[in-house]
Amino acid sequence: MSENIFPHHHAEEDRGTAETRAVDASVRLPVLVLFGNAVHWLVVASLISFILSVKLIAPGFLGGVSFLTYGRLAPMARDLFLYGWASQAALAAGIWLMARLSGRPLGGILHSTLLVSATVLWNVAILLGTLAIFAGYSTGVEWLEYPNWASAMLLLSFLLIGIWAVLQFDRRANERAEVAQWFLVAAFCWFPWVYGTANLLLTWKPVQASAQGPIQSWYCGSLLALWLLPVAIAALYALMPRLVGSHLNRRNLATLGFWMLLLLGGWNGMERLIGGPVPAWMTSAGVVAGVLFLIPVVIIAINLLGMSAHKSADKNSDVEEGVVIRFLRTGIYALISIGILGALCALPEISGALRFTAVTEAKTQLWILGAISFPLFAVLYESFPALLGRDCWCASLSARHYWLTFSGLWLLVGLMLFGGLFTGLALNDPTVSFLNITSYSYPFHVLECGAQLMLLAAAVILGLNLSRALAWDYLFPKKK
Amino acid sequence: MHRLPTLLSGIFLVFLTSWLGLVAYPVLGLGRLSPVADADTGGTLPPVYGGQAVAGQRIYATEGCVSCHSQQVRQTSITQTDIERGWGVRPSVARDYLRDSTAFLGSRRLGQDLSNVGVRLPDAAWHYKHLYHPSSVCEGSLMPSYSHLFLLRKIQGARSDEALNLTGADAPKQGYEVVPTAEAKNLVAYLLSLRHDYPLPEAPVKKAGAGPAK
Repeated sequence: MSENIFPHHHAEEDRGTAETRAVDASVRLPVLVLFGNAVHWLVVASLISFILSVKLIAPGFLGGVSFLTYGRLAPMARDLFLYGWASQAALAAGIWLMARLSGRPLGGILHSTLLVSATVLWNVAILLGTLAIFAGYSTGVEWLEYPNWASAMLLLSFLLIGIWAVLQFDRRANERAEVAQWFLVAAFCWFPWVYGTANLLLTWKPVQASAQGPIQSWYCGSLLALWLLPVAIAALYALMPRLVGSHLNRRNLATLGFWMLLLLGGWNGMERLIGGPVPAWMTSAGVVAGVLFLIPVVIIAINLLGMSAHKSADKNSDVEEGVVIRFLRTGIYALISIGILGALCALPEISGALRFTAVTEAKTQLWILGAISFPLFAVLYESFPALLGRDCWCASLSARHYWLTFSGLWLLVGLMLFGGLFTGLALNDPTVSFLNITSYSYPFHVLECGAQLMLLAAAVILGLNLSRALAWDYLFPKKK
Repeated sequence: MHRLPTLLSGIFLVFLTSWLGLVAYPVLGLGRLSPVADADTGGTLPPVYGGQAVAGQRIYATEGCVSCHSQQVRQTSITQTDIERGWGVRPSVARDYLRDSTAFLGSRRLGQDLSNVGVRLPDAAWHYKHLYHPSSVCEGSLMPSYSHLFLLRKIQGARSDEALNLTGADAPKQGYEVVPTAEAKNLVAYLLSLRHDYPLPEAPVKKAGAGPAK
């Protein structure tokens, strides 16, 4: 089935059947606009992250300016990674994959206009929200710093975009739903629920603060595990068969992985409040969920990697395909890594010691920049040639982007893990003064700066590659 | 799993488990905690903040202090050191956050925990100096300067009582003074109000008085 949906393309002329071309044409504009904006926010977020890493080794860097202090830039970067880049790329990937998997074009020009308008709304909300944090109007709730009107705009815009993905599932041509479609439907149903609930109770009409701790943790865990990760997994399930020239076997494994991931995903994240001001049963549930989360992750990874084992002899050595498959593979390894790291960090002894160190940050980065971003990059690289109707990527830029992202991510995560381990052990020894601990982490912060620079370079290269592709399409439009 | 209604109801039910446990339960349970009477003063615990501290909490939120500072002293069975470091005399409990508009639990400790900073560092002048130039009072601190919360102005008549006693490179030139703005005053009032050294029914205090910060 998947092979018909994502047909092999060797030359520009026979890129897909008339059916898939019609599907692509129907979502072309919204997907291009979503991906284009997502990448430009990724560049901005990476730049701010780099500045932040410099500030950790030289606190006076860009000092004395209110809107450039660490406390304002840090939430700005995090929110841009989450909503500007990851969520927007997930929307783009979700719309394109759902349209392709359903085998039906998105009906009419009206939908395309609506989708593009909603996308504009999304980006205006991100821009204004970011400027509001800049100007000192942050709500101060972690990951929900945008002012009320900006978060309301985001939610509205998501509903306008997400509804099409769900409706598209209902209108699909194939009787048997693809595994990737389950993940997409789940993700698109959950974002509004998770984001709406968290905003309602934490920023729009805050509940008594004594109840906010668990809700904050639940939101951070759910946003990653129930919205962004399912879209990334859907991308893996949709693209892997086509790229390795195989099909999904053991569909029952996928079913098990799907339901377990969903069940545990919501509880994942409570372990971060271990010993904190919440009822003990909540953190216990978080510990159990955090450890068990490894099971669906491994099931899904085995399920996906099983496909490459059945790889056909007919190897396609096309450079772009190489990049897509490399992003997918790394995505799977990052997925396994978050499972293992999450299970380890859920153990009370480890979490108690390392909770407030860079280890927590390493975990978050591995989720956002690894397990979530890598499959999204793969969809980006895969969808553009189909949407623009030509091989639009500069192969050497694509390859550089891959290697810089790959090495930057693992270097950053490794440094944060080691640095966090050191500071965690030192924090647990009350004879070591806090300022001493700060000085221990200095060498790690210096190296992290290098890793952030690599990630910034990677984002800029992707931006160039994408601008080049879009400029080419604008200057030399392809005749229908 | 092939029909939308079936898939949607499955998704809904699965999601409901964590939503009920981690959202509905806290709202209905923890969200209805009430203050307890303070036998010593006749007031309530946790105490009500002054107006300045309430305004200062907004500054704490908008400046993103929570990016680097936690506000939770964790239970001793998991980690002894929060208390051994002098960050508090007892673990934080949900009732401690009753008077806050946002619970700033935090996720990193790039700086020290602030649950009891008002007990540990009760001197407002120290906080002004620290906010203006952190490493002048804490050598090697990672904290950036919050000098934008202060005003450099020409001395009109007598030097203001509020002016900071800055020395060395920070000292303003002759005839000028550095004074805290209303934002800085509110923020410091909030920081000084962060004291959770009183006992609560669910969190008794074992020994009195928090030690100095290490």
